[in-house]
Amino acid sequence: MMFRTPKQVGEWVNRTKKINFTFEGEEFSAFEGDTISSALWAAGQKVLGRSFKYHRARGVLSLANHDVNVLVTDGIDTNIRADVVEVKNGMVLTAVNTSGGVKKDKNSYIDSISPLLPVGFYYKAFHTPRRLFPFWENVIRKAAGLGVVNFDYPRILKRKTHSHCDVLVIGAGPTGLTAACTAAEAGLEVTIVDENLQLGGSLGYNRAGDTSVMSRLDNLISKVISLPNIKVMSGSYAAGYYPDHLIPIVSEAGINKVRAKSVIVASGAFEQPPVFRYNDLPGVMLGSAAQRLLYRYAVKPFNNGIVVTANDYGYRVALDLLQAGTKIVALVDMRQTGSIVYAAALAKRGIKVYIGHCVYEAIASSDKSGVRGAVICPYDEKQSVALTDKQFTLECDGIAMSAGWAPAGALLYQAGTGMQFDYGVEQFVPSRLPNGMFAAGKVNGIFELEQRLRDGVRAANDAIRHLGGQAPQNDVEKHVGISPSHAYPMVPHPKGKNFVDFDEDIQIKDFVNAAKEGFDNIELMKRFTTVGMGPSQGKHSNMNAIRILAKIRGLPVEKIGTTTSRPFFHPTPIGHLGGRGFHSHRLTSLHDWHQANDAVFTDIGAWKRAAYYPAAGQSKEDAIQTEAFAVRKTAGIIDGSSFGKIEIHGPDAALFLERFFTGVYTDQKVGSCRYVMLLDETGVVIDDGIASRLADDLFYLSIGTSNAAAVYREMQRSQQMWQLNIGLVNVTGAFGAINIAGPAAREILSTLTDLDLSYGSFPMSSVRESQVAGVETRMIRVAFVADNGYELHAPMGQIPHLWNALIEAGKKHALCPFGSDTQRLLRLEMGHAMPGVDTDGLTNPFEIGADWAIKMDKPYFIGQRSLTILAKRPLRKQLVPFVLAENYKGEMPMDCNLVVDGRDILGRVTSISYSKYLDRCIGFAYVTPARKEVGSVFQIRADSGSLVAATVVKSPFIKTLKGA
Amino acid sequence: MQQYDVKSIIQTSPVAHAQPRESAKWEVVNGMNTAVEFASATIENARKKVLGVADVSCLARYGVKGPNATQWLLERGIAIPTTPNSWTICEQKTLVLRLGSSEFLIEDQLGGSACSRLASDTTRVASVFKVPRADAAFIVSGSEALNLLSELCSLDLREKSLAAKDLIMTQVAGISATLIRQTLNGEPVYRIWCDGTYGPYMWEVLIEIATELGGGAVGLAQYQSS
Repeated sequence: MMFRTPKQVGEWVNRTKKINFTFEGEEFSAFEGDTISSALWAAGQKVLGRSFKYHRARGVLSLANHDVNVLVTDGIDTNIRADVVEVKNGMVLTAVNTSGGVKKDKNSYIDSISPLLPVGFYYKAFHTPRRLFPFWENVIRKAAGLGVVNFDYPRILKRKTHSHCDVLVIGAGPTGLTAACTAAEAGLEVTIVDENLQLGGSLGYNRAGDTSVMSRLDNLISKVISLPNIKVMSGSYAAGYYPDHLIPIVSEAGINKVRAKSVIVASGAFEQPPVFRYNDLPGVMLGSAAQRLLYRYAVKPFNNGIVVTANDYGYRVALDLLQAGTKIVALVDMRQTGSIVYAAALAKRGIKVYIGHCVYEAIASSDKSGVRGAVICPYDEKQSVALTDKQFTLECDGIAMSAGWAPAGALLYQAGTGMQFDYGVEQFVPSRLPNGMFAAGKVNGIFELEQRLRDGVRAANDAIRHLGGQAPQNDVEKHVGISPSHAYPMVPHPKGKNFVDFDEDIQIKDFVNAAKEGFDNIELMKRFTTVGMGPSQGKHSNMNAIRILAKIRGLPVEKIGTTTSRPFFHPTPIGHLGGRGFHSHRLTSLHDWHQANDAVFTDIGAWKRAAYYPAAGQSKEDAIQTEAFAVRKTAGIIDGSSFGKIEIHGPDAALFLERFFTGVYTDQKVGSCRYVMLLDETGVVIDDGIASRLADDLFYLSIGTSNAAAVYREMQRSQQMWQLNIGLVNVTGAFGAINIAGPAAREILSTLTDLDLSYGSFPMSSVRESQVAGVETRMIRVAFVADNGYELHAPMGQIPHLWNALIEAGKKHALCPFGSDTQRLLRLEMGHAMPGVDTDGLTNPFEIGADWAIKMDKPYFIGQRSLTILAKRPLRKQLVPFVLAENYKGEMPMDCNLVVDGRDILGRVTSISYSKYLDRCIGFAYVTPARKEVGSVFQIRADSGSLVAATVVKSPFIKTLKGA
Repeated sequence: MQQYDVKSIIQTSPVAHAQPRESAKWEVVNGMNTAVEFASATIENARKKVLGVADVSCLARYGVKGPNATQWLLERGIAIPTTPNSWTICEQKTLVLRLGSSEFLIEDQLGGSACSRLASDTTRVASVFKVPRADAAFIVSGSEALNLLSELCSLDLREKSLAAKDLIMTQVAGISATLIRQTLNGEPVYRIWCDGTYGPYMWEVLIEIATELGGGAVGLAQYQSS
């Protein structure tokens, strides 16, 4: 641990617990509390990763998850952010995105050909000749990405929970901690969240060599801990803002969605690098990164370094480095003014300060694994250029750099905060906050410690008053004095490699080239250069990108604006987003019976339905044909409990149905049933079903499975508007249903009920209420799957009894259970089109030949107005029943295969199946109206591309082909 | 024609599909086959304290809605919660849940008889609509109950937000459910009702999380004896 310092006040490592791990095959040791990066750096390992594009050697930049220089894999997980993830004993780590290891990455040659690979090169280079594109696509796909996805990654549950509080404070630096205490002392329930494992933010490391600030931090933390109404969530980040103050907090354990009554954003600011040639070499790091290394992990960033700065912060960094025993070769200040506050302190320590100078270029060590010096030039601050004629070289083994800050304002932006550019601090600050949102501290443009503490109190008081409490209104004065950020800390270099975005290896010249190409709007420039589109999402690069574009266009920064901020704040693992994975589903009361009888289940809407019941060794197709054949020859029985079932009570029930559906119901007789068809306002077919009139003021509606919930919701919505004298009762779950159909159905049923089932007494399309097997049952005569069919509706809990009684009674008739897949074949044989299967989101009733179901002369029904318009237009498609040739043995067309005429698409197949009973392939298809006449022949293009001839016939198929 | 006695028809809890057939002890309660014991009383007691989930779907229920529903219930001696989305106890053995301004769910606790009394009145009355019920119903108890519910429901269900007589109709585990907080035999519990066809799913979800948090299934017997 050659770079480990003596114990630092407030250090995060536990020196009593040693940890061993390997990185790139080498053994390393660390202390408990070290991150992977800090442990490696302490051991003198400086090349920690390779850049995404040019495979340049990279080390620590921010040590704060504001860059992705160091991503590693442990063999199971990948893209582990080594700067902030604690190292664990026994870890076996390697860097991602290398070929042959991080030190001798074979792909590092790409850096030498980088002039051939400017931003956007792949947009232009590979699309011609077209025949070569697959080759280039393969090359680019292999080169793209960082870590390799592990498809054997174990499923590790990440819970997604909800919690609530009065005030959510985002950021546990001095501002956030003060705000939390103030709000809690007023009796509010406070949650404070911080992505770091320990509280304190910059107060823990920004010391300017004076460790006495630590006692203030200790006091603040003690106060937070002493207040029982503060919930602390450390090691967790506020990942996004959603309406009504819903903030997902992401931690290792999962996601906690916090619904807060108010939110205080005290998220601080990201340090931004000055941009000079080779500012990415291992050993060149942000000043705050050097401080974090020093004070959190007791690791020296280098032994003999330079500090380059464009603000006063660099001076504080230099003082911290000196306190830790690091030698400072020089401090290079890009400003002409220098620092009034800290100059004397450095002079006292004998540190040479170069005012109005810049680092023109960092000099790489011979193996490019670190820094051996820097070229220093006078800097023309107005022209933003280095005056190279007076350059000189300083030897060093590291450079700490400070240039300014960008507000960590992602959540503010997402919440709709109005931001304006404040030239006093050279950053965007909130100008108009959404109701209940408050900003404090650096993100609010307040940088000086005492001011930040007051700003925390001010924000908390604002929140208290927002929530109806009493609190003083205490404004905090704006920042005065020298700006904490430099307006343009860029040093152009003819040879480039002055990096703005370290994720994507983007240099100053890339922005210039993008602007020349016409991408001179910040959103376009972002997409062309990909600045801010890497895993760190612009945290260290967006502000510099905006400044560069402003310079190119000669506009003030505020005219350039910012790119759109979207959740999540950091890339979040899919496992976190997935959570437990709830898959709600409904089971009928016959589910166990189906299971015991080897049913194969299918999902229809929310329901698990028995699709068919294969015998041992029987194929799906055979099982379906066998079941369908039984219905035609004897009788079949199906569990229809998933059908939508709705009661409409009240004197206006018929009127309601007339407005809701396309038919007429006011004259419907008690005991009879009528078809219902629902349209939307545009005249599109939504669903259909049967309305059974049980009394003058009671209809019982049975509708399709998939749409039942949506239809009921629409009924409720319509009733809210129409205010008729009705009551709606959704009995879908309370009532089950059984359909028994086939030639023997009546005989089987007659053994279980006293009701006269003769066709005269109980004709088609009628409903009766009677006991069946002792159960009060609503019996509906339907012909959906066969002419002789009965739907039996009864309380769900009594359905198994009813079913078993029918099965028992049907034994001597070989009553056969059939599933929903068989039902689809049976209804096809019967010539019934099904909404959602034979229609889509654009189909109107004229196109499926359902004109007969529409009573246009009614005063009103949903979709009527649209149908009036549609009726005047020529049809564009028509659903027709068709058959394939007799004894057709070729490739079977599938649902959704196209109906074609040469290169023209005429329509598509919506349903197709072979029917054993009819010994014919039958189906429905959309064709152009010119082909709708019986006898018309059209071509279906099967999956292989072969054409299959089909002929339009009359339906029902069962009558056309069998004369049944 | 074969004769059947409707009273002899034994129903099965809508949740039963998700419950162990072999290891649990089953009894018919209120005409419904119900798991009354999943483990020893000692184990179930311990679960109850941490996170117990009990299936109480067998309790008798009666649903009614319509503009005249309130009056109709009052005439039959049912105490009515004063505001929508609240609940009360009637005759010490019956829960009366007011689901909206004019919709009610009545649930007899073990030993209650209000539901059968209401069901026996089959006369149709104007603007009073019977709502057939086939709910899956659960009691969630123990110190980790809120932790469990925090994963299933986005609303604040803590005592400070969900008052003693409040009722909420919300989404639990992604499906529509009714929920109240109640003190049962001196213990704070949550009661959850959902459509019975979702019962097995809801049970699976509740038990999966309960088990992770140190609890588990509790048989109805735990509540029958008290």
